[in-house]
Amino acid sequence: MNKHEHLSSVLQSVNTANGLPNAHYIDPDVFEEEKAAVLFANWSGIGFGKDVPEVGDAMPVDFLGMPLLIVRNKQGEVAVFQNTCRHRGMILVDKPKKIGGVIRCPYHSWCYALNGDLHATPHVGGPGHNMHEDIYKSDLGLLRIRSYVWRDVIFVNVDGQALEFEEVHADLMARWAEFEVPVHHGGPESSFKLEVATNWKLAVENYCESYHLPWVHPGLNSYSRLEDHYNIEELGKYSGQGTLVYRQLKGEGGEMFPDFEGLSEKWDEGAEYITVYPNVLLGVQRDHAFAIVLEPKACEQTVEHIELYYAQSSEDTPELADLRVKNAEQWKVVFEEDIFVVEGMQKGRHGAYFDGGRFSPAMDGPTHNFHHWVATQLTNRE
Amino acid sequence: MLTAHGAGDHMQLVHLYTQAADMREAAGEVDAACFFLTHAYVFALEQGAEEAVALNKRLADYGRAELIS
Ligand code: FES
Ligand SMILES: [Fe+2]
Repeated sequence: MNKHEHLSSVLQSVNTANGLPNAHYIDPDVFEEEKAAVLFANWSGIGFGKDVPEVGDAMPVDFLGMPLLIVRNKQGEVAVFQNTCRHRGMILVDKPKKIGGVIRCPYHSWCYALNGDLHATPHVGGPGHNMHEDIYKSDLGLLRIRSYVWRDVIFVNVDGQALEFEEVHADLMARWAEFEVPVHHGGPESSFKLEVATNWKLAVENYCESYHLPWVHPGLNSYSRLEDHYNIEELGKYSGQGTLVYRQLKGEGGEMFPDFEGLSEKWDEGAEYITVYPNVLLGVQRDHAFAIVLEPKACEQTVEHIELYYAQSSEDTPELADLRVKNAEQWKVVFEEDIFVVEGMQKGRHGAYFDGGRFSPAMDGPTHNFHHWVATQLTNRE
Repeated sequence: MLTAHGAGDHMQLVHLYTQAADMREAAGEVDAACFFLTHAYVFALEQGAEEAVALNKRLADYGRAELIS
């Protein structure tokens, strides 16, 4: 019997399929397998460009145990390296900091430029001798991890084998081409972190569906009815949900956020919420957007990093500061309302007789689309 | 010097190590001078301080480092 026989029922059509079996949520071995086949083999989100705003900013990230270093290089671009010194393997940068010149390893002071080149190897040939005939600096630069920034999210392909980001996500990028304009992070109040006792996939699944809206977000649903939502599902690519009745937030004095420039009518009252597989949740609306990176801490533990973005910077629109706070609070309520479901589904998956569950053929297409994709990543590697 | 290390004042370290190097160099102790020059150079490099260029040149002149242009 092949190893992934049990996934064949996931790969059927939504009408008859079962969801991913319990092991995919509670078994540390399967978590390890998915780490390699799903999270390292694809383009996963690990952070945000706004966290390294200036040249020389460096931020270490532990991604599933893999030490990574995000830097903003001299060209102003984001680059990601393995955060491990090529000498004795010391962690190079252990907390966010500004690199004025080079990255100096705190152990024996080998120095790396922001482009990863090894610049100095003090005493490598003995005291006061900084060269050695067998040490070629050009072979010993920092190891670069493929990265791509889209909508301010920093994506990495750890195993280096994925197709180009722009190729993998061509359809989605085309779908949202109108939103290909600069986004401005709303500042500290527009940033929050939720720690949830769940496998990261359940956060994706809950995000993709609108089925739960009237039950879990009755406030949201009072103006956004179930029938005003539609499923978004592209087999093997992405999924999510859209709404036809997006309403802009208004302040006390009737003030609103300015729109992203050049949007077509479709977005007057339209908005879409899509998962960039595997672990990035994006939302686009006429006047603001958000990005959520799901950080899988452990098999049953996830941190949701939630960031709100606007068409104009906070510096340019100080009069909207209160509205930004109000907006962040409103979203926070929505995301917090989802915690008990993702944690509850996680607990439910310890029920040994649960079979992955059946989907609503009408409502759960986007969720099944994600399961299908995950199962495909696993079976493809046989 | 230990105070500057302790305080993480790396610009001060550049100066102190350079001074130490100058003294050893004046005494004709090239190895000791290069040891201190190396430290001055690394801390200058770390901060992107312009002193790094001259320090690198001094080390390179003694054949102790590649000249970084
Ligand atoms: S481990 Fe980094 S310089 Fe030795
Ligand atoms: Fe929800």
